[in-house]
Amino acid sequence: MSTIVDIVMSGLFQGSLYAMIAVGLALVWTTIGVFNFAHGVLMTVGAYIAWQLASSDALGLPIFIALPIALLASAAIGLLMQAAIVRPFIGRPDVVLLAVITTLAAASIFENGTLLIWGPRPMQLPPLAAGTVKIMGIGISAHQLIIILVTPVILAALWFFLTRMRLGLALRAVAQNEDACHLVGLNVAALYGLAFGLAAALAGLAGIFLGGFTFMSPTMGSEPLSKALVVVIFGGLGTIAGPIFAAYIIAFFEAISIYFIGFYWTPALLFAVLILTLMLKPEGLFSRRSRSLA
Amino acid sequence: MSMGVGIGRREITGMVVGAVVLALLPMVVQDSYYRHLLIMVFIYGIVASSWDLSLGYAGIFNFGHMALFGIGLYTYGLATTLLGISPWIALLAGGVLAALAAALISLPILRLKGIYVVLVTFAFGQLVVQLIISQSDYTGGNQGLVRIPSFHIPGHNLMRDHKLGFYYIALILLCCSTVFLRLMVRSRLGLAIRALRDNEEYATSRGISISRQRLITMAGSAVFTGLAGAFYGAYFRNASTDVFGASLTTLLLSMVLLGGISTIYGSLLAALLLTIFSEMIAGLGAWRPIVIGVLIILVMLAYPGGLYGAIAAAARALRRLGRRQASP
Amino acid sequence: MSTLLEIRGIETGYGRIKILHDVTLDNASGNIGLFGPNGHGKTTLLRCVSGLLRAWHGEIRFDGQVITNLPPRRIVERGLIHVSQGNRLFPDLTIRETLRLGAFPRRARAQEAQNIERVAALFPKLRERWSQRVRTLSGGERQMVSIAVALMSEPRLLILDEPTLGLAPRIKDELCDAIKLISQAGVKLVVVEQDVEFLLDLADHLYLINHGEVAAEVRPGDSMNHEAIMEMYFGRQTSALT
Ligand SMILES: Nc1ncnc2c1ncn2[C@@H]1O[C@H](COP(=O)(O)OP(=O)(O)OP(=O)(O)O)[C@@H](O)[C@H]1O
Ligand SMILES: [Mg+2]
Repeated sequence: MSTIVDIVMSGLFQGSLYAMIAVGLALVWTTIGVFNFAHGVLMTVGAYIAWQLASSDALGLPIFIALPIALLASAAIGLLMQAAIVRPFIGRPDVVLLAVITTLAAASIFENGTLLIWGPRPMQLPPLAAGTVKIMGIGISAHQLIIILVTPVILAALWFFLTRMRLGLALRAVAQNEDACHLVGLNVAALYGLAFGLAAALAGLAGIFLGGFTFMSPTMGSEPLSKALVVVIFGGLGTIAGPIFAAYIIAFFEAISIYFIGFYWTPALLFAVLILTLMLKPEGLFSRRSRSLA
Repeated sequence: MSMGVGIGRREITGMVVGAVVLALLPMVVQDSYYRHLLIMVFIYGIVASSWDLSLGYAGIFNFGHMALFGIGLYTYGLATTLLGISPWIALLAGGVLAALAAALISLPILRLKGIYVVLVTFAFGQLVVQLIISQSDYTGGNQGLVRIPSFHIPGHNLMRDHKLGFYYIALILLCCSTVFLRLMVRSRLGLAIRALRDNEEYATSRGISISRQRLITMAGSAVFTGLAGAFYGAYFRNASTDVFGASLTTLLLSMVLLGGISTIYGSLLAALLLTIFSEMIAGLGAWRPIVIGVLIILVMLAYPGGLYGAIAAAARALRRLGRRQASP
Repeated sequence: MSTLLEIRGIETGYGRIKILHDVTLDNASGNIGLFGPNGHGKTTLLRCVSGLLRAWHGEIRFDGQVITNLPPRRIVERGLIHVSQGNRLFPDLTIRETLRLGAFPRRARAQEAQNIERVAALFPKLRERWSQRVRTLSGGERQMVSIAVALMSEPRLLILDEPTLGLAPRIKDELCDAIKLISQAGVKLVVVEQDVEFLLDLADHLYLINHGEVAAEVRPGDSMNHEAIMEMYFGRQTSALT
């Protein structure tokens, strides 16, 4: 019984993090048509900014004040990044390749910048809430429980935004036909910025969630990013629901595999399953071929 | 450029002259630091030009290329430390295993396009790292493998010759790799992969098999990459997961792109420039990847076509200037 | 300020290739019609007017104010709406979502509900397909949606670039009637058409665009008949070839 609760909790927790990260990747891909390899470091940067604001060793603000400020800062960094290293290449036929290299370079810059500013020493963020909660005899930290409960709400809000609100429609439209967007009076550059900023804020939030749970380090974003890659390959980049489902499926797969097969071989197993899936269904489990959202 | 098969006489002459010059260079360059620089140029040159085969010629967005290097490195490290296999055989094993791994990745990407190829190959690299880290009992995990045995040449001490032995081994690898890559891109296969890159539908309608060509290309780009990785292990005598990191990937990728894709020689030239630059600022510590990253971004912003494009643009500008002066 | 749209001395092109050489249309009264051989710069001119393409030289005024090289959204905000040639729109949005986007300009938002009704009355066919994705629409339906989206933006001047391209005669007539209704409601038109009959029906002042220049014009007072226009059209073209 307790193992089942364990697996379910772990699946839900990891799934929440993966979903939050993968959705940001999908958002940027569908609107701008580039893949952001700096997404993982945006997570790191968000977590470290929150640490700077909230840690008792630094400013010591309450986490609920630090959180929104850190998210805004993450969004601002994402926005600037977009303007500096993505926007100039939009419209070139090799934009995908160029963006891969510039975002990789940005990842390297931010990772080492974090290292220079905050040092290699592992640090920890104050959790969103202290203490543990008992569920069916299993103790789970309040921090984890909050994440498990809040993430679906955030994802639902994002879905609502993208499918029901005019600005969200505009974000989806920009992915599909840039000229037509200009002709209905959309500010295309601002929408690109918005997509990147939103994705960066989601990444920052994931970083803060993670930083309150494990130790933070300058390279903390790389492992979740690689998992998010697997997630978007499974779920497809073209939709928003696909990566969300895939995130939870993969998290559960991992939780089960870690329990029965062990931590060591789980990555290899995951990759084997990924290869098999791709050979059978190349465009991902849930995706359409096109670049569109929702 | 003619579309003929095989390497032209001019090019062979050039290659021979280049090889001879490089072989004689240690007589002038006695200092072991400069020899070290050249060794690094050779290693990165092999890796970057091999990457140009898959990325540039075949248009396969393989972003797991550094994983192939890492596989060569760890194969060498594990084979020599754990299994006690002879370093020379372990070196070959590094190349073979990297080629096998490349063949393995080429299976899922056969039917994929564009960004999904990037994602799968990138994820492959990440998963290799995770596997290495999780198997820390054997691989040393995050700490890496240390005290890896190096090559042994009877009657010669590789440690005490101011890197002369390593220099020649690296040079031999570079020469073999370059000849191999040039033969490959000038062969029928090379024409076929370029045809596939430029117009897949037309090429397949002419009976070119995508899967076979891609598999061979990927394996071909992996062989010397894996050998270079193994050599890297023997040279530094340790192995760490840093070689999979964003910094080195960016550096090598920028060699390919700055060199101008589909040139092989362009990557070698860019490897020369970037390796020397990167090694010269090695003292900067964590600032080094930042400086390199900023530089790469700036070059990309100024010359999205790569250094190759920049040189071509400069040549055009010069010509225009010359013409203006000629006709007052 | 006699005319809504004045174009003076426009030069533009793609890359280094100049397509338009000194195009001036500043005396138009009523609806403007553009015609001319394929590939001689009609679409290029319209893209320049709506801000999608930079003018290298010259001036464009809308309602007396200079709009040359403003960002497209600023031009849309003033009520100059461009229905582009062969617009694929947003393949994965539904008709309803697409129309909501049409009401994005600030001045159009208040009228959204009213405009939806108006559009539905104008194109009853669309109403049945409200939540169908645009990618699955037929060519004629898509053209209707293109015009409908433009109407949602509260146009004062509507640019229609070959609205009946590739459509069957019956649908063409339907569209023509709808466009006439729009014009009668007080929206000025700039229409590009290959179908001379259609153009004569809608436009008051015609310009022949040839080799990136205004090669001839037909003023409202001039006798306009099919014959004369065809002659102009083909006469010009052959002389250009020699
Ligand atoms: N994006 C572009 N890049 C380069 N050249 C272009 C571009 N778009 C159009 N052209 C060229 O500009 C010229 C004018 O094209 P334009 O579309 O304005 O013609 P048109 O008069 O609208 O023709 P049609 O009646 O066929 O629509 C053509 O020679 C075309 O090839
Ligand atoms: Mg046209």
